[in-house]
Amino acid sequence: MVLSLSTFLLPISLLASIAQCATVTYDFDIAWTYANPDGQQTRPIQGINGQWPIPPITVTKGDQLIVNVKNSLGNESTSLHFHGLYQNGTTHMDGPVGVSQCSIPPGGSFTYNFTVDQPGTYWYHSHEHGQYPDGLRGALIVHDPKDPHKDLYDEEIVLTLSDWYHDLMTNLLKDFISIANPSGAEPVPQAALMNDTQNLTVKIEPGKTYLFRIINMGAFAAQYVWFEDHTMRVVEVDGIYTEPMEANMLYLTAAQRYSVLVTAKNDSNSNFAFVGSMDQDLFDVIPAGLNSNVTGWLVYDDKKDKPAAKEIEAFEPFDDFNLVPYDKEGLYDKVDQSITLDLKMDNLNDGANYAFFNDITYVSPKVPTLYSVLSTGSNATNPAIYGSNTNSFVLGHNEVVEIILNNDDAGKHPFHLHGHAFQVVTRSDEAAGFFDPANTTTPLPATPMRRDTILVRPNGYIVLRFRSDNPGVWLFHCHIEWHVASGLIATMIESPLDLQRQLSDKIPQDHWKVCQDANKPTKGNAAGNTVDYLDLTGENKSPGKLPAGFTARGIVALVFSCLAAFLGMGVIAWYGMKPIKTKTG
Amino acid sequence: MPNVFAVPVFFICFRECLETSIIVSVLLAFLKQTLGPEQDATVHKRLVRQVWYGVGAGVFICLIICAGVIGTFYTAGRNSFESAENVWEGVFAILASVIITLMGAALLRVSKLQDKWRLKIAKVLEQKDSKLPIKGKLKKWTEKYAMFILPFITVLREGIEAVLFIAGVGLGLPATSFPLAVLCGLGAGALIGYLIYKGGNKTSLQIFLVISTCFLYLVAAGLFSKGVWSLEQNAYVKLAGEGAAEAGAGPGSYDIRKSVWHVNCCSPLENGDGGWGIFNSLFGWQNSATYGSVISYNLYWLAVIVGFVFLGWKEGKAGATPVAEAESDASSGHAEHAGKKTSTEGVVVGTAVKEVK
Repeated sequence: MVLSLSTFLLPISLLASIAQCATVTYDFDIAWTYANPDGQQTRPIQGINGQWPIPPITVTKGDQLIVNVKNSLGNESTSLHFHGLYQNGTTHMDGPVGVSQCSIPPGGSFTYNFTVDQPGTYWYHSHEHGQYPDGLRGALIVHDPKDPHKDLYDEEIVLTLSDWYHDLMTNLLKDFISIANPSGAEPVPQAALMNDTQNLTVKIEPGKTYLFRIINMGAFAAQYVWFEDHTMRVVEVDGIYTEPMEANMLYLTAAQRYSVLVTAKNDSNSNFAFVGSMDQDLFDVIPAGLNSNVTGWLVYDDKKDKPAAKEIEAFEPFDDFNLVPYDKEGLYDKVDQSITLDLKMDNLNDGANYAFFNDITYVSPKVPTLYSVLSTGSNATNPAIYGSNTNSFVLGHNEVVEIILNNDDAGKHPFHLHGHAFQVVTRSDEAAGFFDPANTTTPLPATPMRRDTILVRPNGYIVLRFRSDNPGVWLFHCHIEWHVASGLIATMIESPLDLQRQLSDKIPQDHWKVCQDANKPTKGNAAGNTVDYLDLTGENKSPGKLPAGFTARGIVALVFSCLAAFLGMGVIAWYGMKPIKTKTG
Repeated sequence: MPNVFAVPVFFICFRECLETSIIVSVLLAFLKQTLGPEQDATVHKRLVRQVWYGVGAGVFICLIICAGVIGTFYTAGRNSFESAENVWEGVFAILASVIITLMGAALLRVSKLQDKWRLKIAKVLEQKDSKLPIKGKLKKWTEKYAMFILPFITVLREGIEAVLFIAGVGLGLPATSFPLAVLCGLGAGALIGYLIYKGGNKTSLQIFLVISTCFLYLVAAGLFSKGVWSLEQNAYVKLAGEGAAEAGAGPGSYDIRKSVWHVNCCSPLENGDGGWGIFNSLFGWQNSATYGSVISYNLYWLAVIVGFVFLGWKEGKAGATPVAEAESDASSGHAEHAGKKTSTEGVVVGTAVKEVK
């Protein structure tokens, strides 16, 4: 009897949980509009359904999310990426153009349809060539009925941070990757924004505890964040619950997220400022008059004034490396595959500055990499077919993969891996040089922090590990949008054969259609060759390397110059030694 | 080396000093021959002293002018030049190259120069006899101190010329590069002048002059090319801004579109690459050559070759039909006359006729 009861109850509980999982649909008509979020300049902005700021996407863990995109921009193609979502089984919904789809051309439509099976704070943004800083980025919040911290707070507040440019990305990118910018100095933003505005006010009730979901959805600038006279407790980082840890100041690189608990004071005697401050270390020159801070207020009492943010003595942010995941997932100590990426910046033959992994700057292949995986059969395991400019790595299934990233550049870079949260095994201080496994004395953390975007310090290194349990094509790239444009991208092709089994004939028709409409090939290797997968003739390539030293024309020029000089001196000698004719009359 | 020895400055000093010493030597020779010690020792001594006083006074005034020019330049003008360093370097390098080129040809004809001055001096001295409309005292005074005034005026003229040239050429150069170059130039000029006065081995002197002229033209060719390079670099720095300067000698420091070669070493601008700096100031070496700098270097030599071939051809022609040429000259009357006068010295001056203005 007991047995029969349980067999009866189980399906019911299953049914209940299925019923809980709703389908959430958003219809997004992306079009240009105008806005002036920093009060300095009205500019064209990419809005959704005539609105900007664009709406946040809010779902509950387990929901099916459907986003119907219509591109009404008219002059630009687009795509959407859901930053931090693993897309397990739906890598074709990940969004990067040239990787898992073709771009959605003006007038085109495209549907993203996937199940969100992870809780936390995320965001969505265009993953088309350097586009999202024009406004196409917003929060994506996944609520969790089983949030382990849900009893610790009363209300949640989403707080987005962003840098802000007055010029359009197309113009800025043209100047950025140009012979006129040989040092690759990134454009400096004109302002910082909080919830796409400035002087934000947040109504606070005394005694309550708030969960602030803080997202840096900027293009470039990392931001320091602090609440005056309030302490934060970090409980989530990039979608991973953590053991609560106190912090006075956070440092969020572009694309990083934190959930923090802030407990309100018990009285409403005064209001308190909270500040986002762009990290000026990233800026090549700090223009006169730039206010790199943005201030908001915890408003306890509307009638009381809002005090100006106080000067602070130094930026002393909390070190995220010390965070411990709530699930206490242990260190992956047996590495199956290790990938080393050496980052550097250099100039190519067009005089512009590019970013490189292992001396290769990323150039989008002709055929989106996912479509190459699906159309090349058993050749899909050969990284060579994905092009010579894509930094492609093929990962085996369910293995522990390690990425060692050596930053041979004097800048800070936030690295993001699609499709995974990774364990941050090691992160060096500034100027530590390259990673040397023989020379690391500090013990690895037993339960390393996991997240999907991590800062590597100037001339330092990071070591990341993750389990390749998510077949798909996943980019690993710097989340500074300028560096995405200058090629700081690698492609992880995870379990390609599993991917073929999983997705063959499952790519929706509208995905193929955007390729057909733009006449983009969808089969074969990176160059679109469907016969010889190793023949990459015609693939997209970067401008060549700068000529090293003397090339043929240099030698010819030098020889000619020497010849001219010797010939000239010969003539001088001839003239000089000529007996001077004298008049003898 | 560019910081301690400005090659163009050296050559300007050398050339001007040589010219001055030739004048002085001509004067001294003239005195020796017209009134040798056997004639009137005291008068000769007095006149020789006059010559040296004239030289001394000229040099002194030159030094004052020189100090004034340098003073104003380094106090007032420096900053405005520095802000557009490449433009000035380019303009002055080309200017210096042109000046050196024009001066250089004359160096090969120092003996001509000697004749030219002989002629001029004779003309001046001759005026004593002629009925010039100069009245009483002044005329007497000029007559009495002719041996002072002549060298004084010439030294002053050459000196001011030198100061102005150096000011022009040297604007782009650091102040430390001047003294040594000036001293060496003056010394070398005086030495050659002395050798000419002594009338030593003419052939070896000619060989020396040919070698130094070749060297001079190498420098000028380098300067010309460097001038064009600097102007191009200025255009690039304007385009690329701070980034170009930050790049040092590496990628991004030059305009790849115009590059003929670029080696990441051996930049004459980098401190510590001293040898390449010498190479640069002597022959115009650039670790980053552009189409402009290479083509201008070759064109320069082409112009020099054509110029000298033309000079040689013209001289040959002049030697064949000297009379017609001389007649067409406006000053031919004087020249012929002077020629007769100075022919007492046993020097043939015919070829110098054309040079008299």
